[in-house]
Amino acid sequence: MKKWFLELWKFRELLWVFTLKEIKIRYKQTILGVAWAILQPAALTIIFTVIFGLFLKVHSENIPYPIFAYSALLPWTFFSTAVSFGALSVVNNSGLVTKIYFPKEVLPLSAIGAAFFDFLMASLIFILMMFIYKIPITLNILFVFILIPATLLFAIGISFFLSAINVLFRDIRFVVPLVLQVWLYLTPVIYSFGQIPEKYRVLISLNPLVGLIQGFRDVTVLGKMPDLNLTVFSLVVSLAVFFLGYWFFKSKESIFADVI
Amino acid sequence: MKQIEFKNVTKTYNPAKGRYGLLTQALGGNLNRIIGRKLKEERIVALKNVSFSVERGETLGIIGKNGAGKSTILKLISKITYPDGGEIEARGRIGAFIELGAGLHPELSGRENIFLYGAILGMKKKEIEKKFDEIVDFAEIKRFLDIPIKKYSSGMYSRLGFSVCAFCDPDILLVDEVLAVGDINFQEKCLSKMLSFTKEKSIIFVSHNLEAIKSICSKVIYLEKGKIKKIGSPDVVIKDYLKEATEEQI
Repeated sequence: MKKWFLELWKFRELLWVFTLKEIKIRYKQTILGVAWAILQPAALTIIFTVIFGLFLKVHSENIPYPIFAYSALLPWTFFSTAVSFGALSVVNNSGLVTKIYFPKEVLPLSAIGAAFFDFLMASLIFILMMFIYKIPITLNILFVFILIPATLLFAIGISFFLSAINVLFRDIRFVVPLVLQVWLYLTPVIYSFGQIPEKYRVLISLNPLVGLIQGFRDVTVLGKMPDLNLTVFSLVVSLAVFFLGYWFFKSKESIFADVI
Repeated sequence: MKQIEFKNVTKTYNPAKGRYGLLTQALGGNLNRIIGRKLKEERIVALKNVSFSVERGETLGIIGKNGAGKSTILKLISKITYPDGGEIEARGRIGAFIELGAGLHPELSGRENIFLYGAILGMKKKEIEKKFDEIVDFAEIKRFLDIPIKKYSSGMYSRLGFSVCAFCDPDILLVDEVLAVGDINFQEKCLSKMLSFTKEKSIIFVSHNLEAIKSICSKVIYLEKGKIKKIGSPDVVIKDYLKEATEEQI
């Protein structure tokens, strides 16, 4: 595995150039351009606020529902964009895979890099909302420097698995949107973790995104410590998924060009 | 010094995989294996027991009919695909100009593509910046540098691709039949550029243009159905190749 990391390091400039390419071409020939990065979570926030905040009166831990929803939609949108683009990245670049040699993990990594750029753009709105709603900021916010990298690793690991499987079986293209839709409801985005009936909590916590996304909301808008059990669990799972995914991807890499 | 060496290299392809890549089929296949039923698997042989070597400073030409395995050799050297048997060694940086438009992105401008393709070939940003003007001059695309290359003609595509490859300072240059789309002037220019390499670099040149092969190669391989039919000096091998081609026509 050390060999893989060393080679990847050698190709770091390629990774950078590819990520820039992904960002550039994503918004080429669109009128709104990068604004799409912000519109996606923003539109969902508005819909959720109307339906769950206004109509269904979902309890939002004593903060206004829009920022309650956005604080979770921000990391969630990053995760779902990263996985949807990451899963298709190898097949979408089949022209490169069959014609040029380079470590292929650059493809999912650059797709996720581009999604991370979107995340940073959408974060600007988040910071603005924090000001508008006068959310007090505490030192707990520093936990984002653990939570975000963990989310990143988790998304990369999943994308390694999916993008490699997608080379063999294109079913993945249809599976990913479906699974992501279900996953959104199994993660405390619309509701908060505290609203889950106690007997289901352990079961729901097996989803590593629970710790990551509820944690992100806790440390930013709620200004409290994240649930440490959940955080540690998510961190361990993320690391495991990352390394297993990387191993899986590399073990399948040599046949990509032949079967794609 | 041997720059490239092939020892008994065999490469086969499974024609079914990928084209019918359905999950159900894979599961079905595994099921058959479990209950001991053997599925007939016909693999297409692209190369069979191919051995040869290329010295530093040598230019090797590969000729043969379509589907003889010429491009497969280039893909194996550049590690795009891997052999089923045998050993391959290639030392140094490889500049592979194998397929038109590989590594170029249609939505990006000529300028952006030079950096993208350069990075793919393993160049550092500084190196590319240093060579940038030379690349642009050689490709003759100065006027079109800042428009997306989807608006380029195929000749411009190939000029851009070849120029980046040639100036990335490779130890091994692989060139497939892609020059054919450029006009005569550019073809001449590429050939003389390649000729200027022949002292310190190794080149493998795949072409149907026998005149071009004759003018720059020091050794030629004639491939037929994945096997080396003949290997030797350009004149002799090309003569054989032409003789057999005309015999077949009669």
